[in-house]
Amino acid sequence: MKSAYNETGLYNLAVVKEAKRWSNQDLIEETQLATIRETYTSPFYHPNFIIRVLLFVATLLALSGVSGFLGLMISNMGEDVFPFACLLYGLVSFIFLEKIFIGNNHHFKSGVTEGMLYHACGFTIVGLVWMADFDTHFVLLTCFVVFSFTAFRYLDLLTTIAAILSFAGILFYTCYDAGGIFQQIIPFVFIIAFGVLYAVVKKMKARKAFQFWSLNLLILEGLSLLFIYVAGNYLVVRELSVELMDLYLEEGQDIPFAFIFYGLTVIIPAAYLYFGIKNKDIVLLRVSLIVIAFSVFTFKYYFSLGHPEITLTLAGAILLGITLLLFNYLKTIRHGFTRENHLAEKWGNLNLQAFIVSQTLGGNQAVASEQVETGGGGTFGGGGSTDSF
Amino acid sequence: MTRDTPRELLEKGLITQDQFTKIDVITSGKVVSVFYELRSLLYLGVLLFTAGVGILIYQNIGELGHILSIIALVLLNMGCFFYVFKNAPPYSNTSVKPPTPYFDYIVLLGALLFISVLGYLQFQFAILDENLGLITLVTSFFFFYIAYRFDHLAILSLAITALASFWSISISPQKWYSGDFFETANLHNTAIIFSIVVACISLLLDKKAIKKHFTFTYLNFSALIFFVGAITGMFIGEWWFVYLLLIYGGCAFAFYMAKWKKSFLFLLYAFISAYIGTTYFLAETVLRDAIEIWFLYSIASCGGFIYFIIKFKNYFSQKS
Repeated sequence: MKSAYNETGLYNLAVVKEAKRWSNQDLIEETQLATIRETYTSPFYHPNFIIRVLLFVATLLALSGVSGFLGLMISNMGEDVFPFACLLYGLVSFIFLEKIFIGNNHHFKSGVTEGMLYHACGFTIVGLVWMADFDTHFVLLTCFVVFSFTAFRYLDLLTTIAAILSFAGILFYTCYDAGGIFQQIIPFVFIIAFGVLYAVVKKMKARKAFQFWSLNLLILEGLSLLFIYVAGNYLVVRELSVELMDLYLEEGQDIPFAFIFYGLTVIIPAAYLYFGIKNKDIVLLRVSLIVIAFSVFTFKYYFSLGHPEITLTLAGAILLGITLLLFNYLKTIRHGFTRENHLAEKWGNLNLQAFIVSQTLGGNQAVASEQVETGGGGTFGGGGSTDSF
Repeated sequence: MTRDTPRELLEKGLITQDQFTKIDVITSGKVVSVFYELRSLLYLGVLLFTAGVGILIYQNIGELGHILSIIALVLLNMGCFFYVFKNAPPYSNTSVKPPTPYFDYIVLLGALLFISVLGYLQFQFAILDENLGLITLVTSFFFFYIAYRFDHLAILSLAITALASFWSISISPQKWYSGDFFETANLHNTAIIFSIVVACISLLLDKKAIKKHFTFTYLNFSALIFFVGAITGMFIGEWWFVYLLLIYGGCAFAFYMAKWKKSFLFLLYAFISAYIGTTYFLAETVLRDAIEIWFLYSIASCGGFIYFIIKFKNYFSQKS
């Protein structure tokens, strides 16, 4: 089995994309980029991100019209027809996507393809599970199969995430329904299953045969690490135990094997960070930063001193201090790490950063004003003192 | 793209040996950049610290600890400004490369702390006791000054939002969520005029070649405020036709901007606004009840739009 796309085209597109990043960073000349473009041609229609969003929205709107129209046509045929109609419509959408857009018009992740793809997935899944009367196990299994297929065949990233979430769902409900001891060991089942998945993905990443799926594998890698952590996190285990397994905790009581989960909440982030630095593994490093923050939150949640503002200030000050020290430490390349920007990330766009800052940091005074505001001109937090206490 | 690609390019003579050596170090992962990781941590640090300080300074007022912490805050703030003024490259009308990878976050921290202190002083001593709105204006001008002096896009965004809030136009996440931009009546008209004025000023500055890379930020906020204002006006008043014309005018302008700035975000705004406007127009006039026609309408309009974009794909490409 292969992806739906022409492999030479995919390879050439990837080379040009990478060369573009080199050119943005002045590693190669503009003229060289132009030559690379000419040498590595691909037939694909693959517009820039905003155009993709635009086409995606338009495609979904147009498809909703088509669906509505067809829905009207079969609306008086009786309930029994609907599941089959959905399934058929979903499958036809897949064929349409494959033959017309990918086959004839060489669309590659153009926005139109994503729109068609999710639409097709949705109707196929709804049709199938409707036939089985929405049985939870069957729903999860169908989702897993359909999403895995589309993630593989169309190299799609969102369905990759959906597939791994359905996989986690299957694992969870199978153990949960089995009851008894199986409910107790859910965290360990997760840790083992995703540990194995992580190892497999790491192996696959090194193989050339999987080069076109490199982004899908990256997502699998990151999510596996996150799942391993979440399964061992004390807060998650405790709250889910109380919520789903009718565990009743008296004041001062704790969940069974609490010390294991306390331990995992500390050890897993530390291990991620250690191996991230040791192996120069950027995925491990990034995940470790996220889970360290969540571990701090976990402990603050159960052992809070009741002064969030002091916690915030101290945490901020410590973070700023450590980061500035690291910046100075990595002035020169040490242990294979550098503070300099090698290749610009797509989301590292300065305009985007500025917008995020304006939407998050400006409101910092609003926190103070909202507590005591009695009215007046406090419309925007950045103003600081527009509030009248 | 595989690990061998740089070598392949070298063998084909598309890149030089020198370039290959530089690129191979990066793609093989021999040297790993933690630029974005550290910058994200800095951002988080500034976010947490300023949020904490913003609450802290209003607590335990009058106690010794409070006075000491205010003094510490002022000293820290002066430290930030001392650092940035000492290390900043001289002002230039073009884009300026920051001296260190963390320089702009020190500027950001300093500016935000300064606003905190200013807010505190206003609260304690009521420097501008008559006009509370005025402090927002002062804040905005202070941000504008910092943004231009240190070539800081993020602070420019803060300056624009503060200026908008002086006119009671709120641009913040809570407002996005609740859709509650305009607190008093007829504010949508203020918003429309405000956005047009800001857009004009930014185009003028662009023409004079003063900080051309700021133009996008100005126009982005203008476009957002304009379209939200015009659409609100269309929905609430009897004058909806006027607002519809305004939306179309805005779309034409945004379309032109998208082409000129090679930024298709404006095209996205234009499409969504024009679609809402046109749909409202049709709902008010010809297409009243028949649901089938609505389905046909969405198929035809969006299908046509997709066809248009793909047909003129070269026009919508970033390659110049």
